[in-house]
Amino acid sequence: MKRQIPVVLVGVFGLFMIFQYFVPHESSEWIYEFLLDWTIIIGIFAMALGLWSLYRVSVEKIKTRKPAWGYNYLTLVGLFTMMLFGFTTQNGEAWGWFFPFMVSANLVLVLVIQATVTKDMRGLFLSLTAVFFVVCVLIIIFDDTWGFHFETAEGLRSTMFRAFFDNILIPIFATMFSLLAFFIASAAYRAFRARNVMATLLLLAALIVMLRFNPYFGPVSPYVNKASNWLMNVPNLAAQRAIVIGIGLGIVATSLKVMLGIERGYMGKG
Amino acid sequence: MRRSTLIVMIVVLLLFVLSWIFKANALSAGEDNYIARGFLITFAAFLTLAVMSFLYQDNPFYKFAEHLFVGISAAFWMCMGFWTTIVQNLIPRLSTSLADFFQVPQQAGGLEPFFFTPVILGILLLMRLSPKGGWISRWPLAFIVGTTAGLNFIRYLRSDFIKQISSTFVPLLGRQWEGIGPFLSNLDLSATGQLVVLISNWVVFLGVFCGLIYFFFSKEHKGAFGFGSRVGIWILMITFGASFGYTVMGRISLLVGRITFLFRDWLGIIET
Amino acid sequence: MKHKLLIPCLLLLCFTLASAQEGTSPPEDTLLFDSASLPAPVTNLVAEDTDNDHGHAITLEWQTSADDGTGKQSVTMYEVFRWVPDLMTRIPALRDTLDYLKLRTGESWSEPEPGSRTDSIHNVFASLDDAALESKLESLEQTISQAIKGLPAAHATYPEDGEWQQVAVAPAGSATAADVGTKEKDSPDYLPDYSDFYYRVDAVTADPTIRTSSEIFGPVQSYGQWFNTGRLAVSVFVLVFGFFTVFFVYRARRGADLYVRPLAGIEAVDDAIGRATEMGRPILYVMGLGTADQIATIASFTILGRVAKRVAEYQTKLMVPAYEAVVMAVAQEVVKTAYYDAGRPDDYDEDIVFFVTSLQFAYVAAVNGLMLRELPATNVYMGKFFAESLLLAETGAVAGSIQIAGTDEIAQIPFFIVACDYTLIGEELYAASAYLGREPILLGSLKAQDWAKAGVIVLAIAGLILSNLAIANDWSWASAIIDLFRVVD
Repeated sequence: MKRQIPVVLVGVFGLFMIFQYFVPHESSEWIYEFLLDWTIIIGIFAMALGLWSLYRVSVEKIKTRKPAWGYNYLTLVGLFTMMLFGFTTQNGEAWGWFFPFMVSANLVLVLVIQATVTKDMRGLFLSLTAVFFVVCVLIIIFDDTWGFHFETAEGLRSTMFRAFFDNILIPIFATMFSLLAFFIASAAYRAFRARNVMATLLLLAALIVMLRFNPYFGPVSPYVNKASNWLMNVPNLAAQRAIVIGIGLGIVATSLKVMLGIERGYMGKG
Repeated sequence: MRRSTLIVMIVVLLLFVLSWIFKANALSAGEDNYIARGFLITFAAFLTLAVMSFLYQDNPFYKFAEHLFVGISAAFWMCMGFWTTIVQNLIPRLSTSLADFFQVPQQAGGLEPFFFTPVILGILLLMRLSPKGGWISRWPLAFIVGTTAGLNFIRYLRSDFIKQISSTFVPLLGRQWEGIGPFLSNLDLSATGQLVVLISNWVVFLGVFCGLIYFFFSKEHKGAFGFGSRVGIWILMITFGASFGYTVMGRISLLVGRITFLFRDWLGIIET
Repeated sequence: MKHKLLIPCLLLLCFTLASAQEGTSPPEDTLLFDSASLPAPVTNLVAEDTDNDHGHAITLEWQTSADDGTGKQSVTMYEVFRWVPDLMTRIPALRDTLDYLKLRTGESWSEPEPGSRTDSIHNVFASLDDAALESKLESLEQTISQAIKGLPAAHATYPEDGEWQQVAVAPAGSATAADVGTKEKDSPDYLPDYSDFYYRVDAVTADPTIRTSSEIFGPVQSYGQWFNTGRLAVSVFVLVFGFFTVFFVYRARRGADLYVRPLAGIEAVDDAIGRATEMGRPILYVMGLGTADQIATIASFTILGRVAKRVAEYQTKLMVPAYEAVVMAVAQEVVKTAYYDAGRPDDYDEDIVFFVTSLQFAYVAAVNGLMLRELPATNVYMGKFFAESLLLAETGAVAGSIQIAGTDEIAQIPFFIVACDYTLIGEELYAASAYLGREPILLGSLKAQDWAKAGVIVLAIAGLILSNLAIANDWSWASAIIDLFRVVD
């Protein structure tokens, strides 16, 4: 039973989605829109699972002293801090005791982790946790310059949240992305070393397309440009079409197998 | 910790503080909270360099940036997901009093109690966390997989399959011969020369044909079939090369963007 | 009783609002003009429900006026009018009042600007207290929903209690137009299904006051269809393909021998697991940025299941960092079952599959770090990949791991080809699960895929010949067959 019901569910919902494509009637549209919204909402619930997994794996690394374990504190502190930012807002101009609050809240987190990973000093860590927890509560009660805000998405607009977004997330994101320029160079070098027909063809085509705007070839350069255009428009079009038809067939066959219950790999059964 | 590591750490810290001071000083003319701004820009520059140091090898600075990045980005998605999906999308459909609490506009067509279903499915998914109830979390997963399998079945059959077949129906023979046309100067598909168009159409057709032969799984690639398959993989490789070359320029411009940040926004060496 | 009080007030409002809209309706009395200057009317007007839709739309066809392009050549456009009952014109104004009442009873209420539309409604209700407002709100909501329900009945009262409203415009020379409404009951464009509609089309000259109306056509009703005939070609493909798959699976189950050509990338998987075991290093399995609703990810789950089973048998370590939480949940399920099937449930650890983060390059940063610190013997990349493909694959190559990749993201395949030892191109990713399992059922469906490809080639050649002949000989029937493959969206 435990195994059969999910398979039946997959089949029923899958076949419904196929039928609804052919049924323009309002009622079919209505269910279709519902189902699409539902999947998004379930995904958000899953996020809680994800965060829990992140927390547990990080703590586990600290516990077992994996390579670079100490940095996992940083991950958890970053996670916790950013989440607090997302739900707090300023009441006036100043942030008052917000900074001490963040420090003690993060200390609470770190101390709780310490208490879970060690055995001998647990009592000490727990009592320190209690102290900082009380500090947090006191600041929340007596500091009016800022507060928790659950009613509207004020936290997303808070200066702290934005500052972390603009000065930590964006720079790292953009730099990781820009590293691709170096990686593409080393990848090209790697392709250059591989001496077989395939790699040579690949590299030749890449060179022609890369050099398409190059003015240094004198009278030949318009022809390089044309050749690269032709490569992009003709053989490229043909191969893309062959791949797309293949992928389309693969996707269609796989989803059919999933719906008919032939392929159950997604549930761990082949 | 080795001594060399310690020295590097101290040097970086010193440089950081120096940069902070200079940046804050440079900003103090125009802004009120120049100390915080100076810190943030220096920090952003530090993180940029820390990530770039990965090109040399794995090192503590990269580890620092990496772990911070993971934690903050996970929280960022959680906050965005909560506010945009749960609050904006779900709450107004379930309860008017909750919608009032979160100050989101009421659902125009009244409440939609059907939306309790995804909530229940979501909770079933969370049952994974309990050791006994794990099996029931397969239901919501089955729901997601089922609906999207059906959706993708139709979508790809239509767009990747049928549409692609119909677009291979191209003229391979000219109706009225209009002459060869300017050949060498028109090596692309936009050429007016009829011969060029026809040759290109033939290449496209044979390319698709051989490409598909390459993807045959249940027939041995021998003889004429093997030749077709070989031509197919050659054409695939040319395509991959072309697409590789095409991407290079785009990637380099990303690097230019980061270098501009370091030299303009942080160090202020180049002017806008 | 409250009801009755309300209606006169609202009617007053409606009157002021509706009078603003009346500018579009044509003058009734066309006899004022010289009859010789009037254009010839549209003839043979036919209105019918629009086909292959969800209802709420009517398609009109007519024969153009004799003065359109020919004759006096005076017609510049056609205006389509529908008879609209008063009840329907009243609903938008009722809704404005409803919005006002909601605003008034809500928390963020402030006095409206003098002279604004809200202010004019406010003047009517200013003296009421909260309780009275609440009850008004409730009764108004009922009034509106009853009015919407009563629309079909109101349409049946034609030609009493209603007026002609312009619903569409068509340029001169056109002989068709569509009156497309929406299914949203809250929208002013709501067009109720199963209501009697009456239409007329005016031939309009450069001077919009000089126009001739056609004969009135009606009643006609809109309704949704249960089958979209424009998608017939797709449905044929669904049936044919479904049949092929079931047929070959059935044949495979009965034990027919099925040949599959070797795929280097797949054969490398087993060796790679063995190598990892010998070296005592882990295997890293990356499922990319796909969500659980993408088929590439589902194919990746199946491959993960095979890999995990083999890994469990060899007692090697497996690491699966996940980009998305649902993917993580499914992958945990997959790996867990694989360990049970391999007879090693005790070796299973919930943290084999773990969540990292849902931001593209944060995920890459973490996985890259993992590659350099854990030094996996083998990296397997299967699923959807985007710009991060090269960052991952190059780092893995630098770390000296054997790398096997497979994706259906065409733009990323070149990067994998360059940086990985083995790459599954496009469809090969989907075939991989069948290869790894070697189960006759899955191999059977592979056979069906091949037949479909053969079908594509045959169809493409036939279509090609047909379209070439059609061009050469002007065969319209051939073009009609080709048009079957044009998919209606």
